Amino acid sequence: MAGARTQSAPPDAGDDTDDTLLAIRAAEGDEDAFSVLVRRHAPALIRLATRLLGSRAEAEDAVQDAFLSAWRSLPEFHGRASFGTWMYRIVTNRCLNVLRARKPVAPLETVGDLPAAEHATSPVRITEARDAVRELREALDLLSAEQRACWVLRELDGRSYEFVADAVGISQEAVRARVFRARRCLTQALGAWR
Amino acid sequence: MTAHTTRTAHTPRTAHTTLVEDVARAAESAEGVAFLTPGLAARLRSAVSRPEPGTGGADPAGVRMTRPDGTGVWHVEIHVVALRRARAVDVARAARESVERRLTALFPEQPAPRVTVTVTGVV
Amino acid sequence: MTAHTDPPNHTPVQGDDEQLPCGRLLFEVWDAWERQAADPHLRSCPHCRQAVHGLDQLESAVRGLREDAADASAYDAEPLTRRVMDVVRLELRPGRPLPLGEPDEDLWIMEAVAARSLRAAAETVEGVRAGSCRLIDVAADADPDSGAVTVRLDIHAPAGAVLPHLADRVRERVRQAADRELGMVVAAVDIRVTDLVDTSADGQEGRTS
Repeated sequence: MAGARTQSAPPDAGDDTDDTLLAIRAAEGDEDAFSVLVRRHAPALIRLATRLLGSRAEAEDAVQDAFLSAWRSLPEFHGRASFGTWMYRIVTNRCLNVLRARKPVAPLETVGDLPAAEHATSPVRITEARDAVRELREALDLLSAEQRACWVLRELDGRSYEFVADAVGISQEAVRARVFRARRCLTQALGAWR
Repeated sequence: MTAHTTRTAHTPRTAHTTLVEDVARAAESAEGVAFLTPGLAARLRSAVSRPEPGTGGADPAGVRMTRPDGTGVWHVEIHVVALRRARAVDVARAARESVERRLTALFPEQPAPRVTVTVTGVV
Repeated sequence: MTAHTDPPNHTPVQGDDEQLPCGRLLFEVWDAWERQAADPHLRSCPHCRQAVHGLDQLESAVRGLREDAADASAYDAEPLTRRVMDVVRLELRPGRPLPLGEPDEDLWIMEAVAARSLRAAAETVEGVRAGSCRLIDVAADADPDSGAVTVRLDIHAPAGAVLPHLADRVRERVRQAADRELGMVVAAVDIRVTDLVDTSADGQEGRTS
């Protein structure tokens, strides 16, 4: 998740310093240390937010807001988690709020009517991987905010149920239920199941 | 309320602004000063725990001038960003001396001003 | 992860379509798939196989989507960093003002600015990384005439170092910087070693993800 420290930083900013120390410095008001953290973690967080929101522009806004919120609450952070995990959680929650505020694209009842079931077994369809990706992308909009967040973290980001539960702030049971519902909805939408 | 007949004891608003700008220039010209801290009121919100230096709105340019006790003694607060190569205390002293010199030249008959300098950054 | 053995309270979705014709619950079947559980029934039962096949198809689309999003690895973080830092600089937390020079000079430096110089000074000692650096204004808290500041600095030290010697060297560099770069009278420099760092790893350890 880290590791993309490509750009130059201000002198003495600790470009090769580990996250823990930089977070402590930033908590004590060292904005240069914070800029190193922003630069280092932005690519992974942008990737996460883009997956959650399906839009790069919205992802940039969400990540920017998340970093500002982090700067404001750093004095209370006390290194309870790694900075990366903490940011992951903040971005996830920020994206969840964005998703919740979205107008529903389509009522869930219509899911069954979406892609024709005949595609499911067509060999042509299997070669059209690109279409499947596009359909999947569109189908993601059918999920509720919580379903989408849990599914993206679990499936696209490959996180454990425990990690997802922590990031989203719900129980592992609830995460499992949401991932299941998301899978059911997506397999239906792709015509892959029922 | 304003005693406009007396010389400079009560400076009208515009004259005050001119004076603050004059003092800001004096501070900024001091050796080792990179620039005055922009928007000091906003930036130091809730950060300064030093005794409140009296009333008067903060000026955006990193200079605040008040006469808190009515004796005519100016209290000048300067917030500067210093150059990295310079020693912070020397920069602060130079800024203070520059401001004192300027005020003494402007108001030779007035008591010496009290000048507080804070280094808020290094570049 | 055997939660599926006791589904009544946790059955994630109600509805008739949850139960496959073979009697298994879809949730259970997919859960077993995810756990890669060895269950002969899943291989032999056509209903279960079909259900798993659906999930497999979803998986292949997911792989495509994952690769699609991989271009974010080339993401240029500079514009975003600049935007974030523009706002951060309007909301700085400079800490408290600390006295510069002689006690009655009325010259000050903000804690965060001084701390940055002192951390950098500590890091001029080979292998040392500086973390928390608090400056306590002794004058303000106790003795109004001392005009002196106590420095409390946390460092990561190289694993092989003789710590008392290392601490002495760091203390010396910090005192020098306080005097030469800042002009701050320092009463004491307290060094706390909070971690030992294997220097062969070249400062990469602790990088978290």
